Amino acid sequence: MTSFLANEQALEDWLRRQAERHEVYWPQRMGKASYAFQRLRRRSPLRLDRLDDAPASKPFRASACVVPPGRLLAPMQELLYRFEPDDDGGYRFIPCLDPTERLIAGIRPCDLKAIHLMDAVNAEGVPDAHYLTRRAHTTLIASNCLQPCDAHCFCEAAGSLDWREGADVFLTPQADGQQLVECLTPRGEALCADAGFSPCDAPEERRQSAEAHRPQPFGRQFDAPLVKVMAAVDETWDSPVWDKHVERCFSCGTCNLVCPTCYCFDMRDDLDIEHPGCGSRSRCADGCMLPEFAEVAGGHNFRATPAARQRHRVKRKLAYLPTQFADGSFCVGCGRCGHQCTVDIDIFDIANDLAAASEAPHAADD
Amino acid sequence: MQPMTEFDPAPLIPRNARILDSRRVTAKERHFRLALEAPLGHRPGQFVMLSLPGVGEAPISISCGPGDEREVELVIRACGSLTHALHQRQAGDVVGLRGPFGNGFDLQDFEQRDTVIVAGGLGLAPLRSLIEPLAARPRRYGHVTLISGCRTPADELYRDKLRAWAQLPHVDVIRLVNDTAHQPWDGEVGLVTAPIPRLDLEIPNTLAVLCGPPVMYKFVIMALAARGMQNEQIYVDLERRMRCGIGKCGHCQINQVYCCRSGPVFRFDEVATLPEALT
Ligand SMILES: Cc1cc2nc3c(=O)[nH]c(=O)nc-3n(C[C@H](O)[C@H](O)[C@H](O)COP(=O)(O)OP(=O)(O)OC[C@H]3O[C@@H](n4cnc5c(N)ncnc54)[C@H](O)[C@@H]3O)c2cc1C
Ligand code: SF4
Ligand code: SF4
Ligand code: FES
Repeated sequence: MTSFLANEQALEDWLRRQAERHEVYWPQRMGKASYAFQRLRRRSPLRLDRLDDAPASKPFRASACVVPPGRLLAPMQELLYRFEPDDDGGYRFIPCLDPTERLIAGIRPCDLKAIHLMDAVNAEGVPDAHYLTRRAHTTLIASNCLQPCDAHCFCEAAGSLDWREGADVFLTPQADGQQLVECLTPRGEALCADAGFSPCDAPEERRQSAEAHRPQPFGRQFDAPLVKVMAAVDETWDSPVWDKHVERCFSCGTCNLVCPTCYCFDMRDDLDIEHPGCGSRSRCADGCMLPEFAEVAGGHNFRATPAARQRHRVKRKLAYLPTQFADGSFCVGCGRCGHQCTVDIDIFDIANDLAAASEAPHAADD
Repeated sequence: MQPMTEFDPAPLIPRNARILDSRRVTAKERHFRLALEAPLGHRPGQFVMLSLPGVGEAPISISCGPGDEREVELVIRACGSLTHALHQRQAGDVVGLRGPFGNGFDLQDFEQRDTVIVAGGLGLAPLRSLIEPLAARPRRYGHVTLISGCRTPADELYRDKLRAWAQLPHVDVIRLVNDTAHQPWDGEVGLVTAPIPRLDLEIPNTLAVLCGPPVMYKFVIMALAARGMQNEQIYVDLERRMRCGIGKCGHCQINQVYCCRSGPVFRFDEVATLPEALT
């Protein structure tokens, strides 16, 4: 696959050219401390230093981007179908699939792995046409991390720092201020073919020498290897650790909403007041931390306590889904849930405590 | 016009189903017969997602036995927004329907076996889809003992069917209420667990099937185990909150297992080790 070197101006011009053909999304600073992937408009500022990890710049931080980029593929609320009366007293159901050509740039490796996992989830079993249609028409440009996002980040510990699969183009900042542009798919190749970047050989070496300047350790590290942490989460059912970490939990569901690998949904119907009998059905993001998530008619709740719900969330990320799919932890270590929780409940601490508890001598007797 | 894409959205899109008749069966439940565009081709124990466009959608068990009719029968309890709205609909009105979903029962498992069926309350609605084929083919399926319980006589579903099945030589029917509530009653009083110790069963050749409110399962399974039944001989039809029916929305998870897809019918040994299975 081809690789290039590009300076900031060339990259910016190229992305702006893409915006003439695709919807281009880019992480933009919102207020003082957060980011959001926003559509690139003709005059929107495109400051490439946000991709650049040089300490002097203010790089884009994944965990400070409250809504993960994967939500462009699975929106918080998404139309599934519209309905209208047919001539026979019934309905015409019109599926809403969205084949808009999109290009998402500036995706960090943790969010890239999350998108890869969501691809697997949506392709498996009964394929999800709404997601897969969006995905088939979306190009991903990812951007390497040479500095951990912030104090919440634990992507290296979660095994997603070096994730590249799924990216069409992968960028790595170079010491001289240029960006290494690696095309990883035919779609990436086609996109860069007439970009006017300078060809570059030995991209592997260039990427690795940039990565050699990463701080060690990179972000927070578990006290045990990831496989042990995951095994501890898998094997622990009754444990005071679950209760300890939910003492202050409001069951607000924020940790679900911001997670790049939370994909549970609820359904809602809307009626079109102006057109009698017409309306639509959407799905909207839902969260297993919300109290009524597992409640059934008659009032029985299969996960009635916050501790039971937290256990479910943590087990889904680190045990249930990793058993069903091939690529390891479904927690990609982006740090969003811990960052956004008002009472500082952090899956990193929960997992770490579970691993410590299962290492403790008394646990061996159970 | 929608642009064509390479992926099929059909599993999430309803089809029209017209109400042929809707009949009150208890204070809270109505029985519906719907006309379909094509036969469902369902297995006993499967369910559909039933919707009223603009109101909502809910999982509802298929109550009729398998067949190739372009009709389906459902029993719907009014308990929330959608189900109350459905009760207002009349013959001729159209509803939306997706499915069938879930695994259902495999009738082959029941060949040459005797079966004890324990239905609590609304649990009789899905189990009727199994009782019908078992009762219709005695030479193939063996003896059927049906234990059907509900709160009071006025809550009993399918009274005519229970009486008709009881007339069949290879079917025994035990009808119970928790409380007669001063109403006339020709069955027994007690919980569905009560008759289990006295049943005349050839245990090694018997299967048991359960469906009812969440509290019921544990006690019935204990009573069956006390008779020497193994987990492999017991089938449970479980309820969970469900939004999609196709293993995506996450609501129905029992630990790592998706009830909508791997269930709602489980052979009990498949879920006995899941801490969330029965509570
Ligand atoms: C596999 C399966 C088969 C079922 N079969 C039947 C049947 O044959 N007949 C019947 O009357 N009912 C059946 N139910 C229950 C039925 O789905 C609920 O009563 C229905 O979803 C309530 O919807 P609603 O809009 O009327 O209530 P809502 O107004 O949404 O809520 C009322 C109550 O129902 C619960 N509830 C809401 N949504 C769901 C959901 N999707 N799944 C389960 N509970 C929910 C709520 O927690 C609340 O307690 C079945 C459920 C399952 C999972
Ligand atoms: S852990 Fe925090 S973010 Fe998650 S539900 Fe509890 S209070 Fe909300
Ligand atoms: S669980 Fe938390 S840290 Fe892990 S991927 Fe989700 S939001 Fe990020
Ligand atoms: S009902 Fe949605 S996953 Fe089972």
